[in-house]
Amino acid sequence: MKTIIRIAAACWSAFPGKKGKLGFVILVWFTVIALFGSLLAPYPKNFIGFESWLPPSFSHWLGTDSYGQDVLSQMIYGTRTSFWVGIIAGLITTVIGVTVGVVSGFKGGWVEESLMRVVDLFLIIPTLALMIILASFLPSMGIVSTILIIGCLSWLYMARSIRSQTMSERQSGYVEAARTIGMNDAEIMFREILPNIVPVILANLVLVTTQAVLAEAGLSFLGLGDPTNVSWGTILALANANNAVLFHAWWWILPPGLAIAFFCFGFILIGNGILEKYRANRGNAAL
Amino acid sequence: MRYNSVYLLKRLGFAFITLYVAITLNFLLPRLMGGDPASALASEKALGSQEVVKALKAQFGLDNPSLLYQYAKYLNQLLHGNLGVSYANYPSPVADVMVKALPWTFGTVLTATLLSYLVGWLIGIRGAWKAGSLFDNSTLFTAFFLNSVPFFWIAIIFIMIFSFYLEWFPLGQAIDPGIDSFSALDKIKSVLYHAFLPVFTLIIATLAGHILVLRNNLMRVLSEDYMLLAKAKGLSAARRKYAYGARNALLPSFTGFMTSLGHVIGGAITTEIVFSYPGVGLVTFNAILNHDYPLIQGSFLFIAVSVIVCNLIADLVYPLIDPRVALN
Repeated sequence: MKTIIRIAAACWSAFPGKKGKLGFVILVWFTVIALFGSLLAPYPKNFIGFESWLPPSFSHWLGTDSYGQDVLSQMIYGTRTSFWVGIIAGLITTVIGVTVGVVSGFKGGWVEESLMRVVDLFLIIPTLALMIILASFLPSMGIVSTILIIGCLSWLYMARSIRSQTMSERQSGYVEAARTIGMNDAEIMFREILPNIVPVILANLVLVTTQAVLAEAGLSFLGLGDPTNVSWGTILALANANNAVLFHAWWWILPPGLAIAFFCFGFILIGNGILEKYRANRGNAAL
Repeated sequence: MRYNSVYLLKRLGFAFITLYVAITLNFLLPRLMGGDPASALASEKALGSQEVVKALKAQFGLDNPSLLYQYAKYLNQLLHGNLGVSYANYPSPVADVMVKALPWTFGTVLTATLLSYLVGWLIGIRGAWKAGSLFDNSTLFTAFFLNSVPFFWIAIIFIMIFSFYLEWFPLGQAIDPGIDSFSALDKIKSVLYHAFLPVFTLIIATLAGHILVLRNNLMRVLSEDYMLLAKAKGLSAARRKYAYGARNALLPSFTGFMTSLGHVIGGAITTEIVFSYPGVGLVTFNAILNHDYPLIQGSFLFIAVSVIVCNLIADLVYPLIDPRVALN
């Protein structure tokens, strides 16, 4: 018990500022729902058989939809999909973005020049359009392909941000010192520079996770998600396709949007808290 | 002389390379995804006519398995403005469907982007000038929140409130069904009336980014020495705020215009679906629903090309606003 409290306390202090702590609370809330969703949900996944368009009541806290499904249960199962797509796609994005950013920022010269040209080029072509063409030509869409498509197409901004941070780190004394004791480039990049830019990476990580959650919702809304799975995006897509507005079914429309909003809001608050602390530690270094 | 030839050539060259890459991706991606290009582009089931299928296959080189041959044919057809035939709108060519849809998207996206910039700038300036004030904190919080909401959800909420319950605006579409009998003035009125809510949605959804960028830029400018000097010289607060601070903070945020446009178009795609607004987004959505592969490819190409052209224009306008850009 004591260790649990200590771990919780360590987590608590790891999120700087009031905003960061608020973000942490939001994140924990969604993590619990994502992990224990099947225990929390009042009815089984995709269970059909209630009356359609029931307004919220004690047996259906968020009412039912046009198919006679319990909205609260669908929301809880949807949390799992949106949560994992966001986290895993965000991690893939981060790995690619950090690698490209650190390598181009540290190496300089033609490596940097060519990598950054590629980034500039793809920054112009709208990502969602690229995702649409990839997803619609895939023989079948599953959760894995959703994650891969989002993860592999969202790293451009991050690569730029990490690159500029690496460039300013490259000038530091510790890099010079590492070189003097004979470290090679890879060691300097990933053992010396990387730990020093962790806050910037974390701040970027939460941003790309947010974007991944929003991208998943957008793709699902376009009908390009996994048709057998529930996510916040598919719930909204169904609500829109079945004219929930005309049936006054606000209970079908508000929860998925608010869930996306609060989930992303939590991440953005955490990222902002980390960046503010980092800036304060470094005397307002521009990022 | 505000333009120098090196800058001009660089920007033009970059635009052409981007264009080329977009066109090539449009050719390669469907093939890499394991789709069968011959049946995707010229499906006998979808088109229902053997002659049309045969003609299309010959036009796009799909009767020849060589990828290089197909690529050359594809580029050749593209130069002639031929993007294939849309299944769902048979026998309309893809290019016709897209040309009809493009002005609607362009009108709403450009209007929304400009207005959103303006409002975002004004709020950002005010927030940065009194950093830490109640106004600053509440706009920051709202901006973070707006940044976390999907465009289409805002669209649904607005329809629910303003169209359904308050009945101020139509539930969707871009024009009245009986528009043909209208006078010219009424036609314009009808278009504006229908466009209001989609544009408003895009403004609200993109506002947050502009507020945050301008606020950050201005905060940086405010800490510059020349701002202190301006104060020491006894210049009025308004002059320091707008002529010294905002002016220098605006310029770097202009580059954000380029990447933000792609973002707005992405949002407009889903927003149009909610409003049944007959632009590129709705066309794309229907194409996805109908497995209308030629149309999906066509819409990607149209979106990419329009964004590239807009960026080029922005690149050419930029030196007029900030001469330093073209110098190095």
